Amino acid sequence: MLTIWSGLAVGAIYVLVAIGFNIMFVASDTFNFAQPQYLMLGTFVSYTIVVSLGMPLVVALVVGGVMGFAVGVLEDWTAIRPLSGTGVHGELVTTVGWSVIMQGCVLLLWGSAPHRIPGAGSDSVVTLLGGRLSVNDLVLIALAVGLSFGTHYWFTHSKLGIAGLAASEDRQAAMIRGINVNRLSTGACAVAGALLGSLGAVVGPKTFAVFTLGSILVLKAFVALAVGGFGSFKGALIGGFVVGVVEALVGRYLGTEFANLAVFGVLIGVLLLRPQGLFGQRRERVV
Amino acid sequence: MIASGTSRSWAGVVRRLPRWPVALAAGVLALAAPWLGFGSDVLRQVVLVAILALVISGLNLSWGYAGELALGQVAMYAVGAYVGAVLTMHDIDLALALPASAAAAVVVGVISGAPGIRLGGWGLAMSSFFLVLLVPDAAEIFEPETGGLNGLSGIPQAKLFGTELGETGFYLLVIGCLVVWLAVMRNIVTSRQGGLLRVLRQSGVLAASLGIGVSSAKLKAYALGAIPAGVAGCLFALLDGFIAPDYFGLTLMIAIIAGSVLGGSESVYGCVVGAALLQLGPMQVTAFEKYALVAFGAFLVVGGVFFSGGITGLISRGLRLLSRRRAVAAAGDRRPAVPSEMDPIPGELLEVRALVKDFGGSRAVDDLSLIAPAGQVTGLIGANGSGKTTLLNIISGFYTPTSGIVAIGGSELAGSGPHQRARRGVARTFQTPLIPASSTVAEVVASARLRRHHCGLIATILRLPAYRRIRRADRAASVRALGVLGIAHLADEPASSLALGTRRLVEVARALAAEPAVLLLDEPASGLDEQEVADLAGVIRRLRDAGATVLLVEHNFALMCAVSDRIHVLESGRLIAKGTPEEVQHDPAVIESYLGQLADVAPETGPDALEVAVSGNRADSSPGAGND
Repeated sequence: MLTIWSGLAVGAIYVLVAIGFNIMFVASDTFNFAQPQYLMLGTFVSYTIVVSLGMPLVVALVVGGVMGFAVGVLEDWTAIRPLSGTGVHGELVTTVGWSVIMQGCVLLLWGSAPHRIPGAGSDSVVTLLGGRLSVNDLVLIALAVGLSFGTHYWFTHSKLGIAGLAASEDRQAAMIRGINVNRLSTGACAVAGALLGSLGAVVGPKTFAVFTLGSILVLKAFVALAVGGFGSFKGALIGGFVVGVVEALVGRYLGTEFANLAVFGVLIGVLLLRPQGLFGQRRERVV
Repeated sequence: MIASGTSRSWAGVVRRLPRWPVALAAGVLALAAPWLGFGSDVLRQVVLVAILALVISGLNLSWGYAGELALGQVAMYAVGAYVGAVLTMHDIDLALALPASAAAAVVVGVISGAPGIRLGGWGLAMSSFFLVLLVPDAAEIFEPETGGLNGLSGIPQAKLFGTELGETGFYLLVIGCLVVWLAVMRNIVTSRQGGLLRVLRQSGVLAASLGIGVSSAKLKAYALGAIPAGVAGCLFALLDGFIAPDYFGLTLMIAIIAGSVLGGSESVYGCVVGAALLQLGPMQVTAFEKYALVAFGAFLVVGGVFFSGGITGLISRGLRLLSRRRAVAAAGDRRPAVPSEMDPIPGELLEVRALVKDFGGSRAVDDLSLIAPAGQVTGLIGANGSGKTTLLNIISGFYTPTSGIVAIGGSELAGSGPHQRARRGVARTFQTPLIPASSTVAEVVASARLRRHHCGLIATILRLPAYRRIRRADRAASVRALGVLGIAHLADEPASSLALGTRRLVEVARALAAEPAVLLLDEPASGLDEQEVADLAGVIRRLRDAGATVLLVEHNFALMCAVSDRIHVLESGRLIAKGTPEEVQHDPAVIESYLGQLADVAPETGPDALEVAVSGNRADSSPGAGND
């Protein structure tokens, strides 16, 4: 049970990043490779605020969110919008570029050494269903569950969320309907950035603030999304937890060198058996 | 053969000049470098550039040309390196170790690409990216052979055919490998195999409708792209006699993507430019420290936004712009080219019996039966959403019907996929023309012959007589098909720059070149001007007279009446009327459902029907307009 709890806690981080991917994916049909870097940035912001400046966690949440928002707007303007609607995978290169830039900036500002961040609930531990886990882990898991249901509800019930769905389905049709797809894309990038930027304060205690965090998370969160189904927030939740638990169990019983291999196996297995993912939708029309 | 003579400005001439002699000269010069007084540190940099260029070149083939985001290059590179190193340590000659490295890389390339068969774009990108993450794990799992995370050292000097290669010998080997591979790659991409890759990149639907097995074509692209990576890996292992898993990481993968983008992904020689830029620029800095990371990222963003075709792309775009002026002038005098005689087309009977197709809860096609005999034009009309395109997609194999039968020439076509249908003789055009980018008109038309007239990869690479024969036949067939439509003079123009009407004609020519048993035309007149519609009507009549089986889906009722022998009217997936144009025009159900007021001005059948409707009420070519 201990292994499962720790798998769920790590999985929760994948869920959070996958939600970020999904917001971009649903609202502007873009895959933002730099998405996990916002979480990485958030961990460093919270390190500075909580550890260096000794301020409360709430401040870290807010400042991280604001920074994530600003960087998100900047990324959309420079790396995503110039290529939107061109139909090629140009954003593959430019969002990777942004990812590298963000990593480089953090390296310049904070250095390459990992920093420890105290968690919410001052690292106290609870026993639940026969396994021990920290309060911070519990918060992470709860956040992953809450946010995935929240974003799902928001995208299916709010006007803006539905506009986003429309824009990614058919950009031009949405434009004709009076949806400002450019602003929507900027908004999505900024919101996803703000969300992950502020979550850095919760994730940091688990992962430490380390500049390579994004590169590790990007692929795992992607696998979570592929397993759950692109564009599905419930899928992101299930997918993230599956990846986290598989990784933890295989790492525990077969050895850590097999953990990635097992995750890769899950990915290939799901893609071959159900290419649209567990909760993804299949588009029938081809011509 | 029709003379191309449209663009004869100097820039056009430069653009058309073969580039391989220049590249070959550069290659020979590089081979001669050890005797030109360059120091060994310079030669080492050249070797590093060449190795990186090989890896990038593989990515260019699978990504730039075939459009597949298969980004596992580093994993293939690593496997090539480890296989080469281990074999050399077991005292195995390079003559064997080098091909073995390439073969191992091909295996990894195909495995990493496998998800791409069911999954395009980012899905493939990430799953192949993920493979890179597995390199250190794999090294650890096979620690006795690979030395684990500490790496593998003490790889002995390379031996080729029993003789030990000195520094100069190794240099020659590396440059030689690059020159040979670039020659191979050049021969692939400039051939019909290259055309196949471009069709694949444009659209899997198009590829399937041309009879290309999409899965096997994709796997071929991944396998080809893996070869240079494997060779490069082997060479890299032998360069310093040491390899470690941390070298083969995400940073290297990003550098390779950057090199591909900067040099131009869709180019043969761009990989050398990209590799040189990276090797002499950011990669000099150890592990991308400090500002290098930021600069490198900015480099990617700026490069990705502004130079989508890379530096080689910029040069050829410049030349094309300069030669465009003449070309436009030439296309402007679109002389009323006299269409050449049409060869007989052996059409076959198309039968659809009791066809039903459900999408979820809604029934798109409901108990539909029709026959389209050879030598006739069978028309299909109906409002948007009445099931016309669904029917075409069932006939061409993109949808599986819920029940019912499609038969050609009396033989049933149950369960076969689109590429098998295409091989059986189903050819089609698309509502939005699917024309691969960066292909000439003649190449687009010839792409219909890829399957029926096969030419092996070896014959292509070595330019054997079989290849030359097929190439000549391709050219002749496409010029003939274009000639039939009166556009043979456009054979050497870039196809994607043509006007919509002309692109539709190119699609018809492509369908013709497939020697079709059944020809499906999906709204060929939409977006055409009056003259073009009239031209199209002439083409369709001549197709019919040549014996083709034509199934025409069209909203332009006047065109439909002018060319069809029998018309079928669909409403909500059901057939509500069929008969000659005359009968259908006066059918009360059709007037009610489809024609609306248009029936009041219902034109006479025959050639002038077209004139009336076209000059009278163009807006009515869309059925909704007729109803209000």
